[in-house]
Order: sequence, then structure tokens, then C-alpha cells
Amino acid sequence: MNEQHQQLIADYLAGNLDDTGKTKVEELIASGEIDFMEFRELEKLHEDLGSIPAPSPSKEMSSNFYAMLEEEKQSVKNPWFQLLKDQVQQMIAELTMPRLAYGLILLIVGGFIGSQINNNDSEIEQLSQQVQDMREVMMVNMLEGASAADRLKAVTISSEMTSVDSEAIHALLFTLNNDPSINVRVQSIEALKRWGNNERVREGLVKAIAKQESPIVIVELADAMLELELRNSAPEFRRLIEERELDFTVQQKLESSIAALM
Amino acid sequence: MDSTSDKALMMKVKNGDLDKLGLLFERYNRPLFSFFYRMCKEAELCEDLVQSVFERILKYRDTYTGDGKFTTWMFSIARNAHIDHYRKQQREGIPVEIDEERLELDDEETKVVVNKQEKKELLEVALDRLDEDKREIIILSRYEGLKYKEIADILETTEGAIKVKMFRAMKELKDLVNTLNEECSHE
Repeated sequence: MNEQHQQLIADYLAGNLDDTGKTKVEELIASGEIDFMEFRELEKLHEDLGSIPAPSPSKEMSSNFYAMLEEEKQSVKNPWFQLLKDQVQQMIAELTMPRLAYGLILLIVGGFIGSQINNNDSEIEQLSQQVQDMREVMMVNMLEGASAADRLKAVTISSEMTSVDSEAIHALLFTLNNDPSINVRVQSIEALKRWGNNERVREGLVKAIAKQESPIVIVELADAMLELELRNSAPEFRRLIEERELDFTVQQKLESSIAALM
Repeated sequence: MDSTSDKALMMKVKNGDLDKLGLLFERYNRPLFSFFYRMCKEAELCEDLVQSVFERILKYRDTYTGDGKFTTWMFSIARNAHIDHYRKQQREGIPVEIDEERLELDDEETKVVVNKQEKKELLEVALDRLDEDKREIIILSRYEGLKYKEIADILETTEGAIKVKMFRAMKELKDLVNTLNEECSHE
């Protein structure tokens, strides 16, 4: 069968032929140029195809679409939303406990959207503040996480913040004094050093000396005290040397630190 | 232009009235789902692909010109979303198993199909056994009601070529149905 006849049959099946076209098909069948049996089979098959059902999509598909549309509307209405979303996605990508953090972030983003809907004139600084606040809330919550990796991430987040409030400082100090992971405790000292001008941080670091068992953390604290010039830490270190059986090298390190601080 | 036509709605979406996409979604989520389902038979994946189509419509709304039918543009996007999905799977080394699973109709199933005179199930199996490019043309024409010209635009070929392919796909489908019938009758 030539291609013209094939095209004609395809048109016939799709219902594209007018009376002239149909007559042409009948003539070709009558002349034997189109096989009648094959033609009938194709016609029947085309009709039978209509009997194959397809299931319906779930309601979730619809919900997902409208959520996506709403998100797009927000990003158009408020370009900062996109910036915030990118920030959030970046943070989520860095986490090992994304579900918990994601829930938290959704809550914060929801609050952010709510606050922005009627406030299109907000300044970019406001956004920065929102991101800053979000980082802080996230950090505090992550510090309570079960995974040491996440707690380390939380401490790292604090180093990206331009300022911290008392709750964040409290969380970092609590971590320094109580976290089971030495790495996390050492990193929290690093993070706290950035806020060394804060009186609460300075006090907290000095008080933390007596609570440390790990020689690594103690040495790290000694370095921090020197860096921050916390002279009132010298008596604490002296007490530590007298009351504990410290490793010789740690003891030497503390002696030299005390001498430098005095 | 009718203000509720697909084109008019899409032009409004392009001009910032994003809510109008909701109307287009209501019109076309089922045809799109049905298209994907007949192509890949995985409902959850098909829903993701539908979502992906509307995400792309939003993303590329500025490129919509209003030339040609909206459905032609939409199914082009759908087709690309489908192709991208399988390319991504291949890149990630995830074996595409659905063809094998779908195409294998074990002896017992074959018997049941014939015994119950479930010819439509047998036809479904035959349709699944067709090469994807042939199946795609039948689906777009027979189920989605697209004209051959529109299919030709989507597949970037001529209307005549699509008609020939449609004829050949139907002929092959017929042969597959007959083969399956014979296999069943020999059992």
C-alpha cells in the first residue's frame, strides 16, 4: 500500500474525511488497492482503543499545583520571597535532619509571608533581619538535635550571623557546657569567641572552665581566654590545676596561659 | 479572542494574572495525566510530571507567543518533561524497568485475559508493547484528540509523515493484538 493510501486511512480513522474522501476510500477498497479486511480491522481497533480506561489523578496533585501557584504568586508580588526561598533551600541542603528543620522553616516562612502580604514597602534590611532571625531560631533548635553533625552545623550557622541575641548565646553556652561531643564543644568556643565583646559571653566562657573534662576543650578555652584577654579566668585555671590530675602537657599549657594573663 | 479561550487565559498568565493558570490546570490536568499514564503507567510519577508541566508553563510563560494552539505548546512541554525524566533516570543509572514489567504478560495472565474475554486488557498489553514513538502518536491522536498537524508541530515533522506513522503504528498494533490472541488460543 502506498503512502498516500496510508495517509488516507489515517485521516479516515481520525474522522477527518468529508464525503469525497470517504468515497475515495470506498473506491480504493472496491478496486482492491486497499485491503478490505485490514481496513475493517484497523477501524475496529481504533474504536476499541476507546475502551482502555485511564485512572484519575489524586486530589494531592491539585493541592500541589495550587501550592506551587501560590508560591509563584508570592515570588512575583514580593521578589524577596525568592531570595528567602533560596536561602532556605541552601540551608536545608546543608542539613542532615532536613525534616525537622524544614518544618521549622515552613513555620518561619509562613510568618514571613503573612508579615509581607500587607507590607510591600518593606526594606531589604527587613528581609536581612528576617533571614537573620530565621538563622538564629534554626540554630537554637538545631543545637538540641540528636545528631552531632547537625549540632556542628548549628554552631557553624552562628558564625554566619551578624548579631546574636541572648537566647542564641545561652544556647551556645549550654552547648559548650553540656554537649556530649568534644568537637561540638570546641566549635561552640570558636563561635562564642566572635561575640567576645558581649559581657554574657565573657562571663559564660570563664564559668565554663570548671565544667570541662576534656583536655582538648580546656586547652581551647585557655587559648580563647588569651585571645579575649579574660584575666579573671586565671584563678579558674589555677583551681583546675590544683584540684584535678591534669595531663602534664595540659598543665604546662595552663601554666603558661595563666602567666600570660596575669 | 474569546476571553476564556486557552490562548486568552495563557496570555493573561503571561501578563501577570497567574490565577488564570488555575483555569488552565482545571481544563488540562486530566488530559495531561492521562497522556503520561498511558505512556508510563506509574500514577505517582505521572502526577509529578503533570506538576512539572505547569511549573514549566509558569517558568517559560514569557516565551509564550500565542501562535498555534495552546494544547500544542502544552503537549510539547509535556513531551519534553517526559523525555527529561527518563534521561535523568538514565544519567543517574536507574534502570528503566517499566517496559519489561509492563510488556511481560505471563502465561497465566494471558489465559485469564482470554478466558474472561477481557479483550481490552489484551489491547492494553499490545499498546504497551508498541515502541514509544508509535504509542505516543496513537495516544496524542486517539486519546488526546490532537489533529495530525498539531502532532506534527509537537514532533517537529510534517503532517503527512505523522499520518503515515499513525497508519503504521495502528497496523503494528493490530499485528500485536493478533499475535497475542494466537498465543492465548494455543494455550
